[in-house]
Amino acid sequence: MAAISLQQRQNLRMFLRILLQSLRIRKSRVLIAFCSILIGAAVVFALLSLYFDISIKMSRELRAYGANFFVGAAETGQPTLEADIYRRVLEQIPAQRLVGASPYLYGVARLDLGNAVLAGVDFTGLRRLSPFWQVEGKWVAVDFDEEHCMIGRALARNMALKVGDQLRVFKRETGFNQSLTVRGIVETGQAEDDQIFVNLSLAQKILGQPGRINHAMLSILSRDFDTDALAARLKEQWPGVTAAPLRKVSYSEGKILEKIKGLMALVAVIILAATTFCVMTTLVAMVVERTREIALLKSLGAENRSIVRQFLIETCCISLAGIAGGMLVGFLLAQLLGQAVFGAAISFRIAVVPLTLTVSLVAALLAAIMPVRMALRIAPATVLKGE
Amino acid sequence: MNKVLEMSGLTRRFGTVTAVDGIDLDIVAGEWVAIMGPSGSGKTTLMNLLACLDAPSEGRYVLDGVDTSRLDDRERTVVRREKIGLVFQQFHLVPYLTAQENVMLAQYYHSMTDKEEAARALAQMGMEHRLQHRPSQLSGGEQQRVCIARALINQPAIILADEPTGNLDEQNEEIVLDIFRDLHRQGRTIIMVTHNPEMGEQAERVVRLQHGRVEAADPTPVTP
Repeated sequence: MAAISLQQRQNLRMFLRILLQSLRIRKSRVLIAFCSILIGAAVVFALLSLYFDISIKMSRELRAYGANFFVGAAETGQPTLEADIYRRVLEQIPAQRLVGASPYLYGVARLDLGNAVLAGVDFTGLRRLSPFWQVEGKWVAVDFDEEHCMIGRALARNMALKVGDQLRVFKRETGFNQSLTVRGIVETGQAEDDQIFVNLSLAQKILGQPGRINHAMLSILSRDFDTDALAARLKEQWPGVTAAPLRKVSYSEGKILEKIKGLMALVAVIILAATTFCVMTTLVAMVVERTREIALLKSLGAENRSIVRQFLIETCCISLAGIAGGMLVGFLLAQLLGQAVFGAAISFRIAVVPLTLTVSLVAALLAAIMPVRMALRIAPATVLKGE
Repeated sequence: MNKVLEMSGLTRRFGTVTAVDGIDLDIVAGEWVAIMGPSGSGKTTLMNLLACLDAPSEGRYVLDGVDTSRLDDRERTVVRREKIGLVFQQFHLVPYLTAQENVMLAQYYHSMTDKEEAARALAQMGMEHRLQHRPSQLSGGEQQRVCIARALINQPAIILADEPTGNLDEQNEEIVLDIFRDLHRQGRTIIMVTHNPEMGEQAERVVRLQHGRVEAADPTPVTP
């Protein structure tokens, strides 16, 4: 046992000596292979970091384009549903996935100069749901604020209202008659431009619909989250409720993300292919340079597996050093890209490390196949003959 | 007579060209044989067959009791490292290893490296002061002595030398010849391919090849 371990130790020492000397004597070629792998690994690391972060960051960016989930009364039942159901629906969605949500209660109210559609909303949620709204003045900031309202741009124009003006709201059926101050004027280019927005609780009073809403719009981060399953679950739980993802928005979001990810994968594959090619040509040059040496080793009794082992270990040594450097450079590159594209830092994700290591190492080992085959084909009888 | 090497009908063809054509030859242990012949006579091809660097197209080649004719590439490699010591005309040392490490390289592929043993083998070649020198720091004669030490380190059954003095000046040629004489006296089996008639004269027996065949295999006087 001791003899075996001594033999292994002695031979390992010799192997390391051959390995180090062999790498040392070919510094320039080793450097080329090292740099190629470093660049490849850096790009892979940066793109993988972005790939993982982009889904979250892009999802958040895309969520700025509005709601992607609808909850309302079932067609067969009443036109409204209990506001409490909406609150319980929200409880079923993980907080980190919910970008914004607002209930809506609609009705017609009489204003000073005519009728208008009045919408009761949750301003805090609505603001998150519709960050693209152009608002002159300010948003209604407090949920229990029953003295302020926001009005659409067209309505404000028709009624000659400005931010800070008072407007009287009547509702004959409920006897509601109160002045509200215009806190902000909303411009969306859509139906909202003709509406007046108040807090939900106030709308319920004006319209005589206490505890009721017409529907709710939600903005959910749908990456890796099954909104169809959520809709089915909600419908099963409350038969009087209809719930559905807004296909157009979710679909577009998914498509955009898929395309960006596809593009990143393509770039990574191209860079890896270039890396593989560069490493391969360098290794081929190294084999050509070492033809005599390989022939000699074979003539001394080196079996093919010894030659393969030596080449693969040399390749692995260069690759691992290149990959380690590449990860460092890749992390910095990811930060640069993150700042440039999203204006935010890209998080370090431990999963990127084994992925980069595996992908880069596989690329390097693929690059070694042809050179190793060349090395194995070297015939010592031909190479070593005299003259 | 203890036959170390037996060839019968040994043939090697390359396409339509027959480089070695049905050679029958036996070599006994401790014999020093010179294989001679003009260019194209099949010396190198025969040498490659004897060194198990190539496989015969036909015939039988038994080395130290092992019929190598039917072996595959890997098995021939094993026979080569176990039973053959190769000495090349161009020395073929690994340039980035020292003289001692070049000798250890043969040990490494054979079984186990042993620095002391490698140093002793080099000392026997008069190279004890050059152990840590790289090939580029050695003269041609010194490089050849490292090559011979490497060939001997695993105690092979035969030493195959291909023009061992072909790249040496007269002085180094004499040193290398002395080494071979010593090896012969120690009972080593030496097979040497050479153009050089003076080298041939040193051998016990000269095998002359012509067109891939043994033209003559006469005993020659051994020069002490």
